[in-house]
Amino acid sequence: MKALEVREVSKMFPGNLANDRISFSVEKGEIFAIVGENGAGKTTLMNIIYGIYTPSAGTIFVNEKEVKIHSVEDAIRLRMGMVHQEFMLIPRFSVTENIVVGDEPRKGIFFDYTRAVREVRELSERVSLTVDAQATTGDLPVGIQQRVEILKVLRRGAEILIFDEPTAVLTPEETADLFVTMRKLQEEGKTILFISHKLKEVMEIADRIAVLRRGKLQGIVNKKDTNEEELARMMVGRNVVLEIPKLDVPVGDVAFACHDLHVKNSRGYEALKGVSFEVRGGEIVGVAGVQGNGQDELVNAMIGFSRPVSGSMELNRKSMHMVTTAQLRKEGMSYITEDRARRGLVMPYTVRDNAIMGQHLNKPFSRGLRMDYEKVAEFAEGKVKEYDIRPGDIYDTAGSLSGGNQQKLILARELSLPHNFLIASQPTRGLDVGATEFVYGKLLEEKKAGKAILLISLELSEILGLSDRILVMFDGHIVGETTPDKTTEEALGLLMLGVGIDRKVQS
Amino acid sequence: MNESNFTNKFLKVFGIENHRHNRRDPLNILVPLVSIALALILGMIVIAASGRNPFRAYALLFGDSGLIPGGSSWPREFAELLIKSAMYIATGLSIALAFKGGLFNIGAEGQFWVGAIVATFFGYWTPVAHTFGAMYAALGSLGWIAQLLHGAVCIIMGMLAGGAWGAVAGYLYVKRGVNIVIGTIMLNWIAWFLITSWLVTGPMTPPSQTFTSGTFYIADTAKLFRIMMPTRLNTSILLVLIAAYATWFLLYKTTIGYEIRAIGYTANIGMDAPRAQGININRRVVQVMFFSGALAALGGTFFILGMQYQFPNTATMGYGWTGITVALIGQAEPIGVILAGLFIGAMRTGATSMQVANIPKTFSDIIEGMAVGFIAMQVAVRYYLVKIIHHRRARTTPPADQEATA
Repeated sequence: MKALEVREVSKMFPGNLANDRISFSVEKGEIFAIVGENGAGKTTLMNIIYGIYTPSAGTIFVNEKEVKIHSVEDAIRLRMGMVHQEFMLIPRFSVTENIVVGDEPRKGIFFDYTRAVREVRELSERVSLTVDAQATTGDLPVGIQQRVEILKVLRRGAEILIFDEPTAVLTPEETADLFVTMRKLQEEGKTILFISHKLKEVMEIADRIAVLRRGKLQGIVNKKDTNEEELARMMVGRNVVLEIPKLDVPVGDVAFACHDLHVKNSRGYEALKGVSFEVRGGEIVGVAGVQGNGQDELVNAMIGFSRPVSGSMELNRKSMHMVTTAQLRKEGMSYITEDRARRGLVMPYTVRDNAIMGQHLNKPFSRGLRMDYEKVAEFAEGKVKEYDIRPGDIYDTAGSLSGGNQQKLILARELSLPHNFLIASQPTRGLDVGATEFVYGKLLEEKKAGKAILLISLELSEILGLSDRILVMFDGHIVGETTPDKTTEEALGLLMLGVGIDRKVQS
Repeated sequence: MNESNFTNKFLKVFGIENHRHNRRDPLNILVPLVSIALALILGMIVIAASGRNPFRAYALLFGDSGLIPGGSSWPREFAELLIKSAMYIATGLSIALAFKGGLFNIGAEGQFWVGAIVATFFGYWTPVAHTFGAMYAALGSLGWIAQLLHGAVCIIMGMLAGGAWGAVAGYLYVKRGVNIVIGTIMLNWIAWFLITSWLVTGPMTPPSQTFTSGTFYIADTAKLFRIMMPTRLNTSILLVLIAAYATWFLLYKTTIGYEIRAIGYTANIGMDAPRAQGININRRVVQVMFFSGALAALGGTFFILGMQYQFPNTATMGYGWTGITVALIGQAEPIGVILAGLFIGAMRTGATSMQVANIPKTFSDIIEGMAVGFIAMQVAVRYYLVKIIHHRRARTTPPADQEATA
């Protein structure tokens, strides 16, 4: 039986056809993946199915009956549930409270908490998704929070579950757990729609895969008849070369050096425990490590956000002790952040205004106190063309761009600043294949131009493909240095987990 | 040079050309207008419920507000409207500017009074008053220059003091983490009692007078020019329009404004983007609070130099609070603040004659309050406006995409 069918669905936004006559059907009990680049129309399509948008044209069938879904309430009534990318949970609430909120068991007019806890425990046992019903949600790891979100959806009686990029926020272990959960739900007869741009994951979990590109359905393939390369080709519309060419660039002068750097994290705990390294012009130094092993603190100290407890930093052989972010940038530091929304861009600002932030005090963008917005607009227009930032109107707000285009905007800004040292902190996080390829290309161009680059990444393939030297971080120390030709993903993986490290030597 | 070319050159001098920072959204104008309209309609219901005739009340309220020309009392009402509005626009600009920087400067009230007392002091203080008095006598027919200078000294000193008062809150916020709302509220009361319970009844009272008479009167040279005899309309309305223009210029034409707005857009959600680009947020916050305080203080100098000519013992608080209303209705945009300030000024002017006809003045406060309420609910107002507009469009023209599928 078809649990869900979408026939000729289109969605028109002003000046943008986000979904163009899309048709597919999902069998009951199937895991159906929808892949596509950022901005391909996946989320729009899901929002139509879930009643957040109304389609401009087309029809939707649930259990082979035509339905009109005008609101999320309608979707819930039709036994659909969405597990959002950003969880809709209240951190201060207990797990139980979060699961029952909006549909609480009552005793008279009062909330019956004991019954709610019992209900949650029963539910969690029945679907074997273990959670502590009385824990405070905000204290739980992200993977468990997602479980709470899934339980919430199940409690409302969802038969069709939509997962919108559920792995974006998860560690590899949590992702593995999630897949176990999804299989279990499948065994229970639930139908799952899995939205993603990570091909490896899609190949692991999905039964069938639909590929979207620029709002159009490129095709639906069976998992067993396809492979990652074919999917990537369908997504991007051409052959994707994720092979990274090796560039031999003469190594130049030391651009950045730090010695015995100790940094505390925001909770006052020493998270960086004496780190020394240097980065030279024309080389990419990769920092590999599991998240939370001191990388954030290292970056914060390097960009002047936090003061090291001890140790020294030098940029272009000048001491950078106690300097401000502005001074570091003036000295030639550029910074690509993984946190586009919070640290990279001012989301309500236009593309134009974001494009020059940090350079706005320089000519020609301002003279004295006065901004020259005409020059700013000219510059932004140029960058939008050069970096192919879509949709391409410099008066769009940064927040309205897709993740890949936001990253292009950040690259455009940071690489046009006068700089000789670039910090790239997880520069491809959350990006699709096309945008990732673009970022790699830009980093290699930078290297060719003789810039010094520090690449911090959780993706080992990225580290191995781009770096000239690799530093491995574990528990606030650099526990190893190697080069890509002398190591493997497995060997790096073990080092990152601290396997085989004599702690006494380190401290 | 043809005319449009001249206009362009003129606009360019003032930086008004090509003013496009965002997509223009007609809703930005519609929301405050609809809010006011809804408040007026609800106001009628409230007045009717109290057993009074709402049409008569509104006829008095708007008939005597100075907005509608005609009648023998109109010039006086018009003058009152502009005098009041000038002060409300000043405090409204103060709060609007702070809003743009992501700061809720509740302290416009205190900054207003600091500006007022300092302007009073420089208005009567013998060394200053005598200097300008002597200059006035010496200049003869050019005496207006002395008046201009003395007025300017009072206004500038008042604005510097008010700015400093605002900057204190900014400094405490930046260096000590004192919440800006709490800090400015505290400073309001400190300023108010320091002035009314000590300065006005003590050191600044003429020795021969009792403590109920207020401070010394300012010298004639310090008074603002009257521009529409025989009413007491003075230059304050012109000065505040210049201040509004300066505020707009600061926000949309300068590097400081660029940074202020970037900070404001990210301040309340704990985002770091401006800081990561090397913008010194702390310095800008203190500056914004200084500018904001100076604007509120400008209103305070109008109160003294244009109306009271001394700091009276009977002054009552409210100009800064009204500024919040004005900034909210004006959507924190300088041009909006001017219009909102005129609207509130008109309501307050008309309310007086409404009261004469035995309809309590508080009805106009109720209407103001409800207008702010609707502004505060602007997400909902916007939502329904969009629905209504779409509904209209759908009825008049069938959507293009449905035609395509048919």
